[in-house]
Amino acid sequence: MTLPDRSSLSRRDYLRALVAVGGATALSACVSESDDVDVPTGTDDPDSLPARQHAWNDALSRDDHGNVQPPEHHVLVALSLIDEPSDDGRERVEDALEILERAYEWSNEGLVFTLGYTPAYFDRFDDSLPETVDLPEPEPLTDREDPTFDEFDAVLHLASDRSQVVLEAEAGLFGEADELNGVDVETGLTGVFERVEDQRRTGFVGEGLPAEHTELSGVPDSIPDEAPFFMGFRSGFDRSQATEDRVTIEDGPFGGGTTQQISSMDLQLRIWFEQDNHYQRVTKMFSPEHADEELVGDIGEALTSTNALTDERIESTQDDARTRGVVGHAQKAARARVDGEPPLLRRDFNTVDGESPGLHFLSLQEDIEAFVRVREAMTGDDLGVANANNGIRSYIFVTQRGNYLIPPRSLRALPPANPTGDDSSEET
Amino acid sequence: MQDHDFDRRTFVRRTGAVTGLLALAGCLGTDDDDDNDDTTEETDDDLEAPAFPEVEDPPDAVYVPTHRESMRMLEPVEAGDYTIAPMLSYPHPFWILTGGAGGEGEIERNDPEQMDGVHMMFTLWDDDTGVVLPVDSGNAIRVFRDGEQVGSPRSAWTMISQAMGFHFGDNVPLDDHGTYTVEVELPPLSTRTTGQLEGRFTERATATFEFDYDEAFWDHVVGEVEYLDEEYWGQRGALEPMDHGGHGDHGDQQEHDDDDHDHDGHDDHDGHDDHDHGDHDDGRDDHHNHDDIPYSALPAADAYPGTLLEPIDDPDTDLPRSGDAAFLATLFDSGSRLVEGDDRYLLVSPRTPYNRVPLADMALSATIERDGETVADTELVQTIDGEYDLHYGASLGDVQPGDAVTITIESPPQVARHQGYETAFLEMPPIELTVPEG
Repeated sequence: MTLPDRSSLSRRDYLRALVAVGGATALSACVSESDDVDVPTGTDDPDSLPARQHAWNDALSRDDHGNVQPPEHHVLVALSLIDEPSDDGRERVEDALEILERAYEWSNEGLVFTLGYTPAYFDRFDDSLPETVDLPEPEPLTDREDPTFDEFDAVLHLASDRSQVVLEAEAGLFGEADELNGVDVETGLTGVFERVEDQRRTGFVGEGLPAEHTELSGVPDSIPDEAPFFMGFRSGFDRSQATEDRVTIEDGPFGGGTTQQISSMDLQLRIWFEQDNHYQRVTKMFSPEHADEELVGDIGEALTSTNALTDERIESTQDDARTRGVVGHAQKAARARVDGEPPLLRRDFNTVDGESPGLHFLSLQEDIEAFVRVREAMTGDDLGVANANNGIRSYIFVTQRGNYLIPPRSLRALPPANPTGDDSSEET
Repeated sequence: MQDHDFDRRTFVRRTGAVTGLLALAGCLGTDDDDDNDDTTEETDDDLEAPAFPEVEDPPDAVYVPTHRESMRMLEPVEAGDYTIAPMLSYPHPFWILTGGAGGEGEIERNDPEQMDGVHMMFTLWDDDTGVVLPVDSGNAIRVFRDGEQVGSPRSAWTMISQAMGFHFGDNVPLDDHGTYTVEVELPPLSTRTTGQLEGRFTERATATFEFDYDEAFWDHVVGEVEYLDEEYWGQRGALEPMDHGGHGDHGDQQEHDDDDHDHDGHDDHDGHDDHDHGDHDDGRDDHHNHDDIPYSALPAADAYPGTLLEPIDDPDTDLPRSGDAAFLATLFDSGSRLVEGDDRYLLVSPRTPYNRVPLADMALSATIERDGETVADTELVQTIDGEYDLHYGASLGDVQPGDAVTITIESPPQVARHQGYETAFLEMPPIELTVPEG
């Protein structure tokens, strides 16, 4: 893959583009672009890190309103096992991941990551996953989508505010870097996993980042300068997100783990920004009342730490469908709240993989069924409202989906399907 | 593939036959040479758009627009149960609606973001019954050139225009001349279907078509825009439905005068394709005609069975109006095929007042009162029937002569509008009817 043209891009955009390209040459270009950046180092004591792989929130920074600030740069490295899982392979994976933890602080400035496994990975074991883990094969969730599915074995999600770090970490794991932030790379994933190159996915999130992509034909100039997401609004409001506790599997051998689903989608931004007006966008993204009462501000800044979906606004979804002819995306999805609590912890990010705007909608939930319920509520087929006015349905086109188990840290290296089973059956 | 020009049927107002109305004012003229076969060059930087004059102070009703757009029709494509007829014009403004009962910002005029490109349209119908399907469950359009996807996928808007009736459409920007391939993915229909349509359209289907985007296309669609005499702009009335090629031998420039009995419904596209095939030869096969592309006209009022409900106030139109939409409301005799058991079926069929275009994606409810007491209060379910086409219906167990029936429009038709429809069908007060005695 060729490197992006430095002269035609802003520095920030160039770094983003390097993350998308990946590999050793992108890394060296990135390093030369990022010289003198001091990346905080990690820890030699793995036990000092949280028992949950997905315990990011306490380590990440927060904005003025208390919302978690996700790292700016993301890579999803799709992995395929070379040989069947073995104790030797487990040791190598664990050692490799501990090198990342020694090299980088568990933070925005350093690196946070998870390693998750697909149903296809667990299929190789005689044992089934315990009943406490709900990890079905991915499937289409609406009539209008026909995604391909993640059928490889695992995905490594790397996230950092520093593009150099996500690139370097990946390079180190696959023999393309000898040293990570001063830590020698003694063991990598090479030999255990190979990368599924055409499934490597990248992205970014942060105020102003989407507007740096207006050179793409799919990203109109009219996207707000400060928008953190391509759709033009903030997301991930603290009070609209599930807590890490809520999405954590409580019981069984994978207690302390979580499930992850990733739906990748194309976004139609030219219609969204060039045809719909701000009132219509607010109506379709949040609710008609959000638009009428001007609750949102230009990009969601007026919402501070909540998407302002009161019980009344959620309950009025059906009424809005009838009497307004339109419902908001957030409004109808919030119908899937359980006892008033959001069931999903979103860690989604923008992408320009494929040179067109998209979203890798990554969510964590205790079980995949929770995501399916939210998606059903978000689809809103029960509302009888015109497709174009049914939230943002007309603007998103799901292309890919994967379901994963993110085990607790103690089982993150090639876990068997039933770690407490009587008989270790992985080498059958 | 042969282009078909729409024959220039005389625009006819609602009242009074007027001749010589059409002022042919194609602002760019037509390039008769048509020898341009470039397929790779970039388009001109500054395509001159045909004028799109505003009508000053249009009525809150259907009104005569400033012009009739011209277009190219492509060969219909079958996809599963669906038949789809793609059509192309130049990018032009339309109005999108998000709500529409009066809120500021709910209706937005959409000007094309760039003139390089096409206004892409398609009509979707069931070939067995000829019923145009006026609802969307989430179509997805992907455009390709030389195997590469051009732009992001999009969902075309559902739209109504006077000439085109109900259709799907959007302005699609194209930066280069060339041959484009379009995939239209159609999900299963989520609207209730009855009669011959019951159990149909349950599978996703994908239709594919190609077109050339070049100067000849542009000259063709722009050169033949027909402007009306300014004195008619904004008057109450509508353009006639466009001719899809099947009216060549009718010769009867009949007025689509009202929503009543004077014409023969939407199945009259049975003529021969004997009119001018136009001046634009793009070198494609010329063996197809488009006689069978239906216009989305609902059946005339007298085509519906049952007891026609009568307006309480005697209107000066054959059918009562709300927001300038004509409402046909009829009570089927008990035990019809549209109900379970012995119930009666209340069918409400709102349509545009001149061309009988179905008004889809409304929310309607009916209240039945007897001696001042409410005896029924029900939502009307949007339904597409093989015979009665788009309507909103409910099964009623207890309804008697003399009962008062109020049709409440909870939200107006959530479809995008072309010029002449954007000020109508927005604020829609209830319609008061009674079940006639005996």
